[in-house]
Amino acid sequence: MKHFDIAVIGGGAGGLAAAEKADRLGMDVVLLEREPFLGGILNQCIHHGFGLHHYKEELTGPEYAMRAIDDIERSGVTIKTDTTALDYKKLGGRFTIRYTNAEEGERTIEANAVILTSGSYERTAGGIRLPGERPKGVHTAGKAQRYLNIEGYMVGRKVFILGSGDIGLIMARRLTLEGAEVKGVAEIKPHPGGLTRNVVQCLHDFDIPLYLSHTVTDVRGDENLEGITIAEVDDAMQVKEATEKHFEVDTLLLSVGLIPDIATLGDVHYAIDPRTNGAIVDQTYQTTQDGLFAAGNALHIHDLVDFVTEESLRAALQAAAYVKGEVPPREKQVDVVTGETISYALPQRLNGDYLDKSVTFSLRSRHAYEKGTFLIKQRGETIERFKRRFINPAEMEHLVVEGGRIARGSGVEIILEGSS
Amino acid sequence: MKKELICIVCPVGCHLTVDEALNVSGNRCKRGIPYAKKEMTNPERQITSTVRIHSEVFNRLSVKTSAPIPKAKRFDIMRALDEIDLTPPVETGDVIIENVAGTDADIVASRRIEK
Amino acid sequence: MKDFLIIGAGITGAFIARELAKYDVDTVVIEKESDVGNHATLANSALVHSGHDPEANTLKAKLCVEGNAMYPDLAETLEFPLLKSGGLLLAGDDERKALMDKYRNALDNNVPSVRWFERAALLEREPGLASRVAAGLDLPTTMVTFPWEVAIAAMENAIDNGVAFHKNTEVTRIDQESEGFAVHTDRGVFRAEYVINAAGAFAERIAAMAEEEPPFRITPRRGEYMVLDRRNEGLIKHALYPVPSEKGKGVLITPQTHGEILLGPTNTAQESLEAVPTTKQGMERIKTGAGSLLEKIPYEETIRTFAGVRASSSHEDFYIQPSKADERFIHVGGIDSPGLTAAPAIAAYVVDTFIRPRRPLDSNPHFNPKRKTKPLYKTLDDVDKNARFKADGRYGRIICKCERITEGDVVDHIGRTLGATSVKGVKKRARAGSGLCQGGYCEGEIIKVLAREHGTSPLDIDYYEQGTPIFLKETKVKP
Repeated sequence: MKHFDIAVIGGGAGGLAAAEKADRLGMDVVLLEREPFLGGILNQCIHHGFGLHHYKEELTGPEYAMRAIDDIERSGVTIKTDTTALDYKKLGGRFTIRYTNAEEGERTIEANAVILTSGSYERTAGGIRLPGERPKGVHTAGKAQRYLNIEGYMVGRKVFILGSGDIGLIMARRLTLEGAEVKGVAEIKPHPGGLTRNVVQCLHDFDIPLYLSHTVTDVRGDENLEGITIAEVDDAMQVKEATEKHFEVDTLLLSVGLIPDIATLGDVHYAIDPRTNGAIVDQTYQTTQDGLFAAGNALHIHDLVDFVTEESLRAALQAAAYVKGEVPPREKQVDVVTGETISYALPQRLNGDYLDKSVTFSLRSRHAYEKGTFLIKQRGETIERFKRRFINPAEMEHLVVEGGRIARGSGVEIILEGSS
Repeated sequence: MKKELICIVCPVGCHLTVDEALNVSGNRCKRGIPYAKKEMTNPERQITSTVRIHSEVFNRLSVKTSAPIPKAKRFDIMRALDEIDLTPPVETGDVIIENVAGTDADIVASRRIEK
Repeated sequence: MKDFLIIGAGITGAFIARELAKYDVDTVVIEKESDVGNHATLANSALVHSGHDPEANTLKAKLCVEGNAMYPDLAETLEFPLLKSGGLLLAGDDERKALMDKYRNALDNNVPSVRWFERAALLEREPGLASRVAAGLDLPTTMVTFPWEVAIAAMENAIDNGVAFHKNTEVTRIDQESEGFAVHTDRGVFRAEYVINAAGAFAERIAAMAEEEPPFRITPRRGEYMVLDRRNEGLIKHALYPVPSEKGKGVLITPQTHGEILLGPTNTAQESLEAVPTTKQGMERIKTGAGSLLEKIPYEETIRTFAGVRASSSHEDFYIQPSKADERFIHVGGIDSPGLTAAPAIAAYVVDTFIRPRRPLDSNPHFNPKRKTKPLYKTLDDVDKNARFKADGRYGRIICKCERITEGDVVDHIGRTLGATSVKGVKKRARAGSGLCQGGYCEGEIIKVLAREHGTSPLDIDYYEQGTPIFLKETKVKP
């Protein structure tokens, strides 16, 4: 059985960054990617808007991917594409990973640490219990994006989009440019899910209406989709009577959320945070299973790929430290709790014996605020405060607390005091 | 005739109003003014799309305009892309169409496809 | 000229076809849909009922108990999944009388090994039961199967034994002739001595082509369902039934053969024979019903919702009778619950009661009751895996990662006797696309493999029925 220091699962933005970083830190690394190409979802995100944080210039998704791919190809990482990781076992402090591909068949390798950068999958019609019939023509937006931008096929001519996240907005523009008629976008919340820039340049530019506080209440069609109905919802998300609007469409795209893709990983168990649907991690991005690390959308859903890259770099640094025996065993845990204006924060726990190193918290506000202050507290006392402008649930915040600030003895509380 | 638009210079998203004389109101900072004027007189956009390629892995090559193009030319550029039929290899940045649709911009590959 | 023509390839038609394949006769099955088991067979509770529920001395009671007893052998012979889960019929304190009525009914129906349990005994078997559950019946012969695979299995075995099958073929008119019948379809005329109407929800429509006054009316009822994903395998071991009330048979909770948990059905009368929408109200009703059986249900792990139409009829019982106009035309109508369970017994009943007494049948000396399947790659041991992989590398390539289905598996399910021609056809047979992401990742790959294996373009691959391509057009084509 071939042995590696670190196995990285998934060769998208997160996996590429993690694998290359670990390699640079002297680790013997293997990277498993199920697609025949590296770069993951970036390959189908052909639009602009990537790289401003990490590369300090604006790139398209494929350009961002190419930079990371160029780096990994110059590294010593063993890369296996068109290869699916099947399951994991842990024996004597080491992981065995079974994978399969068309060249080797099923094989098993061994690694001291695993980094999960397996990305996310799209929430489906079943996941939101979409009412109505089940004709052909209801697709998740990311799947349709792949068909359009990689395979070269259109799934519809007359389209409605449910969900105003960035993928939905971007697809409205792409489909319009390719000749489809996009009849509207519905968003159940009172504000758009995606960036204002995308609302303007993807919808306003093409006179595509955005129906806020609306959801799809009916899907019609026997074999092929014939039409949908949307209706307004109140503050409690209940449908208001007599607000229905009908649209004749052959396609309904769903852009209703992403879920960390880790449920199929098998025998190695670790705790899940119901707020993120990803693993519970400490400040090293280590899950509750020793030696199992997670980063990127496999851990929690990001709005910017730059943050996926940077989180994966941090995870790789810690995974390498773990392999070298530099991370102390987790004997004293410090819990992190959040105030009710914060929807979630990572890490959810801290290793109490590793607090001499800095801690990066990633978190999201529950509401939009023009101004706000994040407070890090211990024993009721504020140990760090971070002022921010334009806090928005759609945009992840990062708070870096320097080493030595957090004490070992008691839990950490993160609070957001916002004002409009 | 007045026109309303949303400023996208920063995340605030001010709702701007521009009149015929290009007077801008509703902006909370001065960066909104040139944005609104540009949108009213000569709006420009980047176009990203694909072209046909005969590769073992990809059916389409992603491409972009090398510079912003006049918004009104968007669909002319899309039609020009329909004419392209490529065979690998293609390198990131390779010019696929020069001076596309009479703009000064080129269509360039936004990725590498080796085979 | 055929000896027998069967209209409809749902579970009933498929088993009748297989029953006739045991004899030395010429049989043809015509089906208007693109695949076997497309309506009621596709969307139901997947239960092989014990027979406790149908009223005593009905065909439903008789054929349900008989069919139940046939399933274990059939599952081995035809190689389809069968989960011997057992069932529990659960009642609150205020429902003890109704439970006692069902207990007596089950005994009248000769349901094997029925026992009365009080709460403590029930909790030993299902610790998560709702607090209101006070007593119940143990129904150990209750089983769960994979309904459309059963229909496909029966039909494949019939085809392998010489039965002809025509899909995408819709009956438009039936003429009575001296030798039998001329069945007109959108794909030509079929002639047969006997016609068997096994058209499910459409059985009344077919009946009206054979006689002026159809002897039964189809009164369709829609049942909605919710599916919890496979992570919930083990949530319950038994199929859980509520005691039926005046409102209907109620919402069941059923462990599925592949690890999911099925919740439902609702029960709504409707006009349409094929409309299967799910509704918000329906989902709420399921939650209320399921909540009265089981304390904690993780609804947030729903991966799929669906609805099916039950072909109920104006007769309470199954309507299995020759036509009054011509006894060579046999109606098998009103096959609602327990139709899946009863189907193999219905087939034997039809042939033994209405055909053999009138028309002698010689056995088919070449009849092979067994259907040989090629198991999915993931189910093999290492030695068999290695052998298969050495012969074809495509068994090493995963197409559906949620269900671990390889490209080789998909190719097998396209190439088998009743091979898949559509995306959903692959899903029905190989389960590719049934998992967490519901085809979000593998659908495009499946289209490519289907196109390659059928020698056609991805543009021609349908989602399911004819004329439902996923890809409507190619981009970047010169106008």
